[in-house]
Amino acid sequence: MMRFQRFSTATAGYVLVWRALAFVVAMGIVALLLALSGRNVGELAALVARSTLGSRFGLEDLALFMAPLVLTGSAVTVTSRIGLWNIGGEGQFYLGAIGAAAVGLFVHGPAVVILPLMAVVAMVCGMAWIAVPTLARAFAGVNEIITTLLLNFVAELLTYWLTTGPWRDRVTGALVSTERLPVAVPEIWGVVHWGFPVAILVACGLSLLMSRTSWGYEVRVSGANPGAARYAGMPTRARIVAVMLLSGALAALAGMFEVAGTVHRLQGGMSDNFGYLGIVVAVLARRSCLAVIPAAFLMALILDAGIVLQTQQLAATAVLAITGLVLLLVAIADELAHYRPVVAEPVRRSAPGVSS
Amino acid sequence: MAGQHPPVMRSGTPPVLQLVGICKYFPGVAANEDVSLTIRSGEIHALLGENGAGKSTLMNIVTGIYQPDGGEMILDGYGVAFSSPQEAIRAGIGMVHQHFRLVSAFTVAENIHLGWSDTPRHIPAGVLEAHTRELGERFGMPLDPAARVEDLSAGEQQRVEIVRVLARKARLLILDEPTAVLTPAEANDLFRALRAFRAEGNAVIIITHKLDEVMEASDRVTILRGGRNVGTWATKDCSPQMLAATMVGREIVRQDLRVRAPDAVPRSAKPVMSLRHVSVRDGRGVETLSDVSLDLMGEEIFGVAGVAGSGQRELTELLTGLRAPDRGDVLLEGKALPADAVAVARAGVGHIPQDRLQSALVPSLGVTDNMALREYDRAPIGGNGLYHAGAALRLAQDIATVAGVKIPDYSMPVRNLSGGNQQRLVARREMRIASKVLVAAYPSRGLDIGAIATLHRYFAQLRDEGRALVIVSEDLEELLNLSDRIGVLFHGRIMGVLDAAQADVERLGLMMGGRTEERGAQ
Repeated sequence: MMRFQRFSTATAGYVLVWRALAFVVAMGIVALLLALSGRNVGELAALVARSTLGSRFGLEDLALFMAPLVLTGSAVTVTSRIGLWNIGGEGQFYLGAIGAAAVGLFVHGPAVVILPLMAVVAMVCGMAWIAVPTLARAFAGVNEIITTLLLNFVAELLTYWLTTGPWRDRVTGALVSTERLPVAVPEIWGVVHWGFPVAILVACGLSLLMSRTSWGYEVRVSGANPGAARYAGMPTRARIVAVMLLSGALAALAGMFEVAGTVHRLQGGMSDNFGYLGIVVAVLARRSCLAVIPAAFLMALILDAGIVLQTQQLAATAVLAITGLVLLLVAIADELAHYRPVVAEPVRRSAPGVSS
Repeated sequence: MAGQHPPVMRSGTPPVLQLVGICKYFPGVAANEDVSLTIRSGEIHALLGENGAGKSTLMNIVTGIYQPDGGEMILDGYGVAFSSPQEAIRAGIGMVHQHFRLVSAFTVAENIHLGWSDTPRHIPAGVLEAHTRELGERFGMPLDPAARVEDLSAGEQQRVEIVRVLARKARLLILDEPTAVLTPAEANDLFRALRAFRAEGNAVIIITHKLDEVMEASDRVTILRGGRNVGTWATKDCSPQMLAATMVGREIVRQDLRVRAPDAVPRSAKPVMSLRHVSVRDGRGVETLSDVSLDLMGEEIFGVAGVAGSGQRELTELLTGLRAPDRGDVLLEGKALPADAVAVARAGVGHIPQDRLQSALVPSLGVTDNMALREYDRAPIGGNGLYHAGAALRLAQDIATVAGVKIPDYSMPVRNLSGGNQQRLVARREMRIASKVLVAAYPSRGLDIGAIATLHRYFAQLRDEGRALVIVSEDLEELLNLSDRIGVLFHGRIMGVLDAAQADVERLGLMMGGRTEERGAQ
């Protein structure tokens, strides 16, 4: 007799298979909706394929989307390891962008000096932006989800004020924008700049940090059971502070690369929701620092496909709808991955190691 | 007195519950195999068995949490199959779990009425509370309806759980280890209430490890071993020795653990650890431990007795560096105890805490990560900031081997292990680091007789190696069997320290209640 039984753990293989299936189903639903609204699905699919994975231009775009998504996704993932949620990636992204733009606009020197300085200033700005939620969380137990989220709106408005006020472009008169920065992150492949490999390296480094250092072990234990962390005498509060500051720095680094590598100027609304999409990436990555990379790839693919669809007179909100659909189905797939077929045949011996 | 004996039922009354050939399989394990069991109306039925004997699985089937892979369930003469716990509740089967399922921030009245179809949609708190008080009185379990559950003692919380179940018109009440968290007096109250419940023709199943309780409270007893029903007996035909032997499947040899091995280290002259006039205050400024002075010697087991909440938690936290004294000094080998738990652990103090899953283990992490908890920061696992997963795995394998726990997959979350196996792993992990002192709070709670015997032998072995052990327990027999001296806590004070050879249950019981022989009533 064969039946399905729910297990408390889901193996990576099962998760992967179910998620692939979920993605196929999501694409099927999108195709069906497009067909119902009178579109030629085959043609659209071919167009999307050609202009994302099927062409150099599309691949470059994918990499450009991926770099900030890997960083903001990592920012959310590291906090989730200690049991917290940094929903303020968007705000820290803006602060990183502002810090980087300030260095680019007002400090002059060779790029080899200016670019690292930009990165450092950006990360410090990001950490400063998350500092208040961090301290409130670590010392007063204030829920970090609300505080980090609310600061996003402040950061966004701050960017609008700078780009329409004191830092506005007085050269070309572009609206809601600073002047073009004199330095840029060097490009390595078409329009793809160093931000892409750096982001990938950062994700790999974080993975090693979590699994191969005693610091990472303490973070994992503190996140999974604060009671055990106290029992073992771990400095939980210090780890919370460090992890949240690291998270702010990562999101800010994404903002720096976006300003100095992709957009070349500070603009209002320039974040393209990368901060929020980082949450989606983190959820898809299931708290694994390494899985952030494929999760960011998937998200970048959806964003890229969305742009192609917009050229075909589909609403920009279609991207959001597709993202939501994928997330929903992935959540279902993750649950289904807990089920495995078992053959119920009488086993005489009971295994002492497994709770019954 | 009414209810002292089971009521006489008319012949032809169908049993409340009949299980016929119940089977339940988990991958690689037969949790229940061909279990048949009859629960008559008007009886208290004890279900006895070692850890992993299949008691919980069987009760989960009866209460609709699991569906059986084979066999039949007959309730009041009709075959039933529950697809959810709600259906079982509707059919009159209620269960009180070992770990209470109450919302701690809610009041008693709110907990009683939560998720109950009889609760009206809009209802003022006053009416809810009046109704709760009435329910409590009807079932002989007085409640304070407005109190928050988090402020209640374990016994009071259990009363809320039971009234909650009875209010839903349960006719079969299942209690999982009901006395594990109760004081002797609370346990007596519980049994009195159960007898009253039985007198109305209802039935009770008690899952327990405690043989005395089986003898005292039950009418019939069923023993499970290895997922199978070994037999059902009338309790009056049983003896504790026979029950223990049947449960374990072999004779349990009681050995006197106070006898030293021939090669044991002699008792130290100087104390290993000392408390000097130590006081501790809780968050509200109330003294939970007052002016306690103690000396713990090497090669000695010091037992701590007392009613739950008399300062045991504070005492263990003081000894393990989890809490600093508000007044007084804690000394380890004459020097002040370091102020943080890591330094204390590194100085050679191991700690088996009261709540294993909440503090000693990280349930969602793997066995390997859990076994590394005490040694992750030193070679070979740690040091210089790194964490060597390979070395951690080897450590976990070592611990599991000496603890006698078979682990199919070391990356499996530790919560998948049975409570007994978790306890064994924690005990062995802490014994590794306890080069000077081992503090164990309720170490045998939730373990079966065989596992307790093994654990006690570990403790005796540690003692013979010259270490000091502090054992906190509610089981006086255990303390008398194991300890050299027993200190009794009462309202945060040490009522006295007795030589275990001269102590007995009566004397300890009096002191636990705040009386001393010299001064009479306090």
